[in-house]
Amino acid sequence: MDAGQSSLSPTTSFDRDRHVRFLKMMFHGLPSGYQEQEINHLTLAYFVISGLDIFGALDQVALVWSPIHIGEQTRPMTVFQRGFMPVDKEEIANWVLSFQARPKSKADLENGQFYGFHGSRTSMFPPDSSNVLIHNNSHLASTYCALAILKIVGYNLSSIDPDSILISMKNLQQPDGSFMPIHTGAEADLRFVFCAAAICFVLNNWSGIDREKAKDYILNCQSYDGGFGLVPGSESHGGATYCAVAALRLMGFIEDDLLSKMTSSSIINVPLLLEWSLQRQTIGGGLQGRPNKASDSCYAFWVGGVLKILGAHKFLDKEALCEFLLTCQSQYGGFSKFPGQLPDLYHSFYAMSAFSLLEEPDLKSLCVELGVTDFAA
Amino acid sequence: MHGRPRKPQKPVDDASIAKAAKLRVLQAQFFQNHHDKIYAKEALEISAKLLETNPEAYTAWNYRKLAVEHNLRSETDPDAIKAVLDEELRVVESALRRNFKCYGAWHHRKWVLNKGYSSVDHEFRLLDQFQKADSRNFHAWSYRRFVAALKNMSEEEELKYTTDMIETNFSNYSAWHNRSVLLSHLLKQKIEGFTPREKVLTEEYELVHQALFTDPDDQSGWFYHFWLLDQTVTPGAPVLVSSWPAHGSDLFVSFKGNLDGGVSSSFTSFCSDKGAFPLIIYFNQSVGGINSSTVTVKHLFDKNEDLIWVPLATNNSGNAQAWVTFLRFPDVKDDSLKAYPVEVKVGHSQCAFTVSLRSIDSKHGEGGSDMEMIVWKDDSFHASEPLLLSPPVVSLDQATTNKEPEQIDSRWHEETLANEIALFQELLSEINCKIGKLTLARLLRAHDKMIYKMPFADEKTHSKEVLDLFSDLMKLDPSHSRYYKDEHSLVLMEQVVSNRESLLTYCWKYGEAHPSYLCNPICLRLSKLSLSRIGSFENLLWVQMLDLSHNELWSIEGLEAMQLLSCLNLSNNKLRSFTALEPLKLLKSLKVLNISYNEIGAHSIDTSRYLFSSPLSHTVGDDWNIDAYVTDGVKMNYWEAAVIFKGLYLTQLDVVGNAIVDEKFNLFLTHILPSLVWLDGDRVY
Repeated sequence: MDAGQSSLSPTTSFDRDRHVRFLKMMFHGLPSGYQEQEINHLTLAYFVISGLDIFGALDQVALVWSPIHIGEQTRPMTVFQRGFMPVDKEEIANWVLSFQARPKSKADLENGQFYGFHGSRTSMFPPDSSNVLIHNNSHLASTYCALAILKIVGYNLSSIDPDSILISMKNLQQPDGSFMPIHTGAEADLRFVFCAAAICFVLNNWSGIDREKAKDYILNCQSYDGGFGLVPGSESHGGATYCAVAALRLMGFIEDDLLSKMTSSSIINVPLLLEWSLQRQTIGGGLQGRPNKASDSCYAFWVGGVLKILGAHKFLDKEALCEFLLTCQSQYGGFSKFPGQLPDLYHSFYAMSAFSLLEEPDLKSLCVELGVTDFAA
Repeated sequence: MHGRPRKPQKPVDDASIAKAAKLRVLQAQFFQNHHDKIYAKEALEISAKLLETNPEAYTAWNYRKLAVEHNLRSETDPDAIKAVLDEELRVVESALRRNFKCYGAWHHRKWVLNKGYSSVDHEFRLLDQFQKADSRNFHAWSYRRFVAALKNMSEEEELKYTTDMIETNFSNYSAWHNRSVLLSHLLKQKIEGFTPREKVLTEEYELVHQALFTDPDDQSGWFYHFWLLDQTVTPGAPVLVSSWPAHGSDLFVSFKGNLDGGVSSSFTSFCSDKGAFPLIIYFNQSVGGINSSTVTVKHLFDKNEDLIWVPLATNNSGNAQAWVTFLRFPDVKDDSLKAYPVEVKVGHSQCAFTVSLRSIDSKHGEGGSDMEMIVWKDDSFHASEPLLLSPPVVSLDQATTNKEPEQIDSRWHEETLANEIALFQELLSEINCKIGKLTLARLLRAHDKMIYKMPFADEKTHSKEVLDLFSDLMKLDPSHSRYYKDEHSLVLMEQVVSNRESLLTYCWKYGEAHPSYLCNPICLRLSKLSLSRIGSFENLLWVQMLDLSHNELWSIEGLEAMQLLSCLNLSNNKLRSFTALEPLKLLKSLKVLNISYNEIGAHSIDTSRYLFSSPLSHTVGDDWNIDAYVTDGVKMNYWEAAVIFKGLYLTQLDVVGNAIVDEKFNLFLTHILPSLVWLDGDRVY
């Protein structure tokens, strides 16, 4: 590491307090670097809130200034001391719900549009005078993130009308079983199959997805090397593999701790998948997303999560993985993609999730396939 | 205003202030236009500027699609249409130059190309630039496949491109990947120049050798080699590899009582009180659709019987390697030991054996009481008189298979594998490379499997060398040692049971007296071998008593094929849950089970599995009411036990030494297993 980066030199142990502080900062305001991601505002919020939840720190986030009286009795003086109190979960829930696209009537659900959640305020337009949405930009990923946040803050999801989301979500499923994220058209791949499965799982209602078709699509994405590509025939990729395995798990097509059971009769080729996933651990201890790529902190979750679902996380060299992740730990809290870089929210969240998979003390355990803590799930 | 992340309050420097301001202005203008459905030139320019600064703004891509549709609605002049679409391509290109990992931009480009007005050749030129800059960009590779399909490019040409990319850089896994996809198609369709398959694969081996020998530590080539090996040894049609009763054997079935040990080999005797005996067939791969129309069973007992075949698998896929049916025999007291021939035909495989029937008074013979406890101690077993008759190990003449004319030349197979083996043995003598060792182990196993299939071949296998390789790997790559350990266990097991001499050294006679359900008192004792997995079931279908104690088993997958098992010892292993015992559900003859000293209940159990409806929840019957026994929070632990045990008729069970065990649990077991006589060595009343 050169001298210019010395201020970012890795710390030697998991620095819980700084990570919580990092997430709190992000909670109160995002740095300018995130402006390009404005359209994914809900997703960024999910990283922060879910991250705080892993630390069990949602209870100490909101900034308050409480008055303290000092000074002599003759000349009383009041100062304000900075302190933290639990977030207002209701306020968060209301904020998330404000992104929901709502159909004017039940009949609208057949019009081919998707009524989910918008990713950000700018992509939302107020309905016209007759209460019809001019442009409905609801997105599957934002909908998944919205529901995940609502679950984390303990919002009663039964007060959401599942039909408006799920009936309209059916419009997004393609004949081959994949999902488009937005009804106006976009690439369809495994990422959105995962989102759709997670949405149904959270709402505990599978009417929005043809599970058999989705399963067939996922199976078509498994490559000869055992991993999954984002679309059939494409190169295996750690993130796509997570989406495939987690979606199968959520839909109930594969069981928990698959390895100690019937691996040879499973619908996916488990031995190959296991080997591909394990080979992603590099000499440096970190996990890579594809062969011959550099280790990247986020794959400690994507690939590590796959191994967790398979019941094979124990095969990883956990110590080496911890060491790698700690080289990505910033002294200001948070994690970077590669060692020695500045931390970012995305890699921080997934590295923190990876530490939860590694059973770091005092972190809540994760419901891996859903991407929220067990407690929230 | 807490409760939400938001824009920065204190931007870092002037440049980012300026950029943020510019973005905000553009964004505001863009959304206004989008809202008002303005698709004029100026409006389009604003969205272009926005996308060139921030390609991630996918709403703007979708706006441009609406705009194009709107502006082309009344346009018929092809040049004008092309001009509009070219502008789209230009915007995408500059967005990609800013961020070539942007999904939305690549998708927009595909959308434009699909209109069919654009030059595909230009796309290839652009791709060449992008792929030079980042040869692993999977968006670019996907897009390449897309435009190649659009242009109807021949796959040969694209294959040539991967050759060029690979020759530039052997480490380009993406290029190797695309090559495997293309070749799979070419081989499947038997395109001219790509037959015979053997010739093509031989050339591919040569290509990948160059890569492997240039840099043996690079994984790309090894993965491709793995794919090639898979192409080389892909199993053809399923083949019957084993059965019980074994091919060529003479089975003695006695009903109501014990066989007199002097008459027959213990390995081919069976006693039945149900007027039927099982017929088990075992294939080299998982198969489906086994029924009375796909399998012909010729026998003299009952010609009109429609046999019901059951797949031996714990999932409901309807596929299994092992299938079982029951053959009924006539209720004749025929002591003449007349041998009835039975012939089984499945596809091109067949097996044949004879069955003799004896009825014996249950008091006759050396039988001990059925109430007596089986004791799994060393002094219960003795290496009795030399076992004259051998266990029916799968032999080369076992299941005769008719070769299909289309089968790939097995000589080429064998030569290819032998050649690869020699090559890597040489390479590994010079360098220490873990993935090389793994590949060599795989080659050796594939080679052994092939030898095993060929008649009159030298029976010598490479088990020893493979075991050494896996032992090496465990040391060389300790982080994956448990994975290698599993492989090691499977090979070790294969070595132990694959020939008669070796197998006999593990066969012991149980006791002087034995209960009537155990008509074959030969126990296969595979204890203390540090096995973590078990396999080679095709050789073990005859076993009725099995001792796997003092190993490191954490799974017993495949055990369900051993339908004759009546006594099973799994004590002192590493089984973690009752669901790991799922194969036991299918062992309907099981009477005696020892699972003491495992880790059941020591780890958290997945409680969500039974809580949401899933295709798997059929594994839990609803005919059994657990609430009658358990009322508090430990329900889940008990569920799993109930699911495994409720269909079994165990008379003896040992569970001591598992975390889950306490008085309450034992009480629960006696309720759920009314047939139980012995629990942890104590009489149950």
